[in-house]
Amino acid sequence: MALDDVKHIIHRCFRCGYCKFNHSYSDFNCPSYNKYRFETYSAGGRMWLIFGLINNELQWSDNLANILYACSTCGNCVENCRFVKFNEFWVDIIEAARAEAVKNGFCPEKQKNLLERTTNPEMFNPYAEPNSDNEELKKEYNLLDKAEWVYYIGCTSNYRQKDLRDSTLRFLKKAHIDFTLIDEHCCCSPIIRTGQISPVKDFMNYNVEKIKETGATKVITSCAGCYRTLKNDFEKFGVEYDFKLYHTAELVKQLLDEGKLKFKSNYDKTVTYHDPCHLGRHSGIYEIPREVYKKIPGINFVEMKRNREDAYCCGAGGGVKIGYPDWSVEISKERLEEAKETGATVVSSTCPFCRTNLSDANDKFNMGFEVIDLIEILDQLDIEITAD
Amino acid sequence: MNTDQILKDLQNIVGKEFATNSPEDLYIYSQDPGASLPRPVDFVVMPKTTEEVQNIVKLANEEKIPLVPMGGGMTLSGLVLPVKGGIVVDMKRMNQILEINELSRYALIEAGVSTGQLLAYLNEHHPDLQPAIPDAPPSATIAGNVLIHGSGYLSQKYGDHGAIVNGLEVVLASGEVVKLGSCAVSDYWFARGPIPDLVGLFLSSFGTMGIVTKLSVQIFPKPKFREIVFGLMKDEENIPKLLLEITTKEFIEDVILGKQDKPEWMKGYIFFMVYITGDSQEDIDTKIKILKKTYRKNGARYMKATQKMIDLYIEKPIFASGAADFRKGGGFEYVGANMPLEKIPEAYRRGAEISIKYGIPPTLGSRLIGQTHNIVMFFSYSFNRADPDDMQNARNALEETNHLALELGGIPWKGELGAQKLTLQKMDPNYKKMFFNIRQMLDPNGIMNPGNWSEEEN
Ligand SMILES: Cc1cc2nc3c(=O)[nH]c(=O)nc-3n(C[C@H](O)[C@H](O)[C@H](O)COP(=O)(O)OP(=O)(O)OC[C@H]3O[C@@H](n4cnc5c(N)ncnc54)[C@H](O)[C@@H]3O)c2cc1C
Ligand code: SF4
Ligand code: SF4
Repeated sequence: MALDDVKHIIHRCFRCGYCKFNHSYSDFNCPSYNKYRFETYSAGGRMWLIFGLINNELQWSDNLANILYACSTCGNCVENCRFVKFNEFWVDIIEAARAEAVKNGFCPEKQKNLLERTTNPEMFNPYAEPNSDNEELKKEYNLLDKAEWVYYIGCTSNYRQKDLRDSTLRFLKKAHIDFTLIDEHCCCSPIIRTGQISPVKDFMNYNVEKIKETGATKVITSCAGCYRTLKNDFEKFGVEYDFKLYHTAELVKQLLDEGKLKFKSNYDKTVTYHDPCHLGRHSGIYEIPREVYKKIPGINFVEMKRNREDAYCCGAGGGVKIGYPDWSVEISKERLEEAKETGATVVSSTCPFCRTNLSDANDKFNMGFEVIDLIEILDQLDIEITAD
Repeated sequence: MNTDQILKDLQNIVGKEFATNSPEDLYIYSQDPGASLPRPVDFVVMPKTTEEVQNIVKLANEEKIPLVPMGGGMTLSGLVLPVKGGIVVDMKRMNQILEINELSRYALIEAGVSTGQLLAYLNEHHPDLQPAIPDAPPSATIAGNVLIHGSGYLSQKYGDHGAIVNGLEVVLASGEVVKLGSCAVSDYWFARGPIPDLVGLFLSSFGTMGIVTKLSVQIFPKPKFREIVFGLMKDEENIPKLLLEITTKEFIEDVILGKQDKPEWMKGYIFFMVYITGDSQEDIDTKIKILKKTYRKNGARYMKATQKMIDLYIEKPIFASGAADFRKGGGFEYVGANMPLEKIPEAYRRGAEISIKYGIPPTLGSRLIGQTHNIVMFFSYSFNRADPDDMQNARNALEETNHLALELGGIPWKGELGAQKLTLQKMDPNYKKMFFNIRQMLDPNGIMNPGNWSEEEN
């Protein structure tokens, strides 16, 4: 979405500040406002700055770019702004303004790395790892080139959270899912969020093409970020596909509902669930993972004060992890403090990026939690799955 | 002014990250969501403690730089836009709820506590108590609201929000800290008197007398049941007699009335929303019957509302900000005039004429303060922020309305600079003299929000 497309909306922000809060107003739920505290760093402040740019009342500067980038694109503003006729656009507008920053040469240095690495033909991922064509994994798991499903691993799982990836692979195998892997390139979430959109469409087309080659009609991912990007952003970039998209939690839930999946051992721990912004506010999936957790025998499932639409962001998204590494982990720390109040010993999510950041905070601040993905919990259980 | 040095000094006081003069921050703080033109700001600072506020005031005094205290910045009338440049002191980091006294029913809070925060805190920790808050967005502060004689839910029952102030802690222009109210004598912030009542000096003086750092406000028991009884009236002449009779009932919590063309059911009528309270549903049902009769007897009729509508309005605060999008443009401002009941019918008639003259669909409303002791009358004008002419049009309508309010014996509330000047013109000269003298004594260098309540041309 270009800034021109939303020009008629930006000035409709009243700068009233509902977007700073959660629904009950008990907390500042915009991580950015919560830290910086000047009006400038709320969603409303950003809208007014962008309006000022459009009107030539403000010029591009490093500081202006920094204000636009110090936002985890968590979507709390979209959720809590009461102007329902147009609140859905706020994050898109911030991303569009970042694309303008990039065009004008004001993308911050650290975030630039995301583009450089992603477009590097040796990498195609934002982690500067050599690209894995996933052939090794296909061999290890006996996966053929053609299949009904593609597991789209996503860069974070493939290069940083391999336990999560392997748990997913094992689960899919146990569930007798006929799946394969592709030589995937980044889904582009990091570069879209940071406004570096020039190569995005090509990447999307590439991935869709690769999926097509497998003959798959279904794509599953264990990453909330990839899920949201495939679900929402492909269409915005005009890239169509005709496969059905699943997050792993959705497949698990479906198998449970169909009576095909049965848990045969207990998970005797107190667990709280952190809603990833990408899966929750951006994709509207709140109950599915909860229903799965609640079906695990022995589990004591507890909610944090801010949950579902009101969940506080882990602070990793929108380029904040790379751009502001210390602050990013502080946001996760705050989230873990909230988790502490529940008495949980396990903080679980359904996103490798949340898992990374929450784990980083857990380690850095000695919070004493086990931070683990839903699929990794399932991997620890004895399960029985009946095939079709 | 040595800008770099002052910035450094401010940063030394509050920490590097909480004092700024970046063009982006100044751009944001030079505008508010109302119709005022932007006014330049030199610095923005966010103190965390009373001591930091004292140090900021001392610095401003030495350097003779104006200080503009800011809460939520939500008055819409430009009250937190400096008139003579200077430092905007954004109070929102001072947001500790220090004490909720359930027996004497007050909340002792720092000045940056937002209305939303106090509401949520009471809902969570003291579910039997409720704050008196305005319809303003939840980011408005309790301090900002009571310091302008705000009003809102519970005002019919308990008076305006100036009346709920038990006491203040204020940093004066000299840098001294003064306590006002019972807290000046007692450990309890439970009452305003019985000592000479100086709290009033700080109300509606728009930051010209000092910076409030702490305050105690009354909080109130929550009724078990609450309902809204809607009514419609064709002829506004009947407003006074209906209100007089409604206020003889003891179960009324709030009375709001208004006139606007949208939604459709409101067109051509004065609508009434009477909030009633009770101990049980049967109790409420009986009271609804009483009110229906009251409507009938006084030239109005009861309107059955859908549950959806009741739910919409019973949520407190309601989403009054919606008016900002009436012209698809992110803005509205209103003259909120305090008026005597006898002039309300005329205010509706002539207010509508002004709206029509300026091509803005009439959006008029009023809220009862006390038992018809005072009516806040809203003449609201929406505008499109992207259209400078539309904003000028709204400013013109506001100015004409200020004249009307004063002509009818009302007083513009939280008025923008123009309204303040008009009010001063009409003010008893000795009241004015006394006010200016006190101000001169407290703030000889004129650093406290200068330009407000001023007869000087800006
Ligand atoms: C949609 C909408 C609906 C509204 N509805 C209502 C309503 O129903 N009732 C109502 O009363 N108001 C209403 N308002 C007006 C206004 O928003 C509120 O009164 C609000 O509570 C003001 O608080 P604030 O924190 O925004 O004050 P600000 O605008 O920040 O400040 C108000 C004044 O107080 C001064 N001030 C602020 N803090 C201090 C301090 N610590 N020390 C000294 N001076 C200080 C400022 O300099 C300024 O002059 C509404 C506004 C909007 C936008
Ligand atoms: S984004 Fe919505 S809630 Fe936030 S300031 Fe703008 S209009 Fe208000
Ligand atoms: S997306 Fe999140 S961090 Fe960014 S402005 Fe909105 S609420 Fe704040």
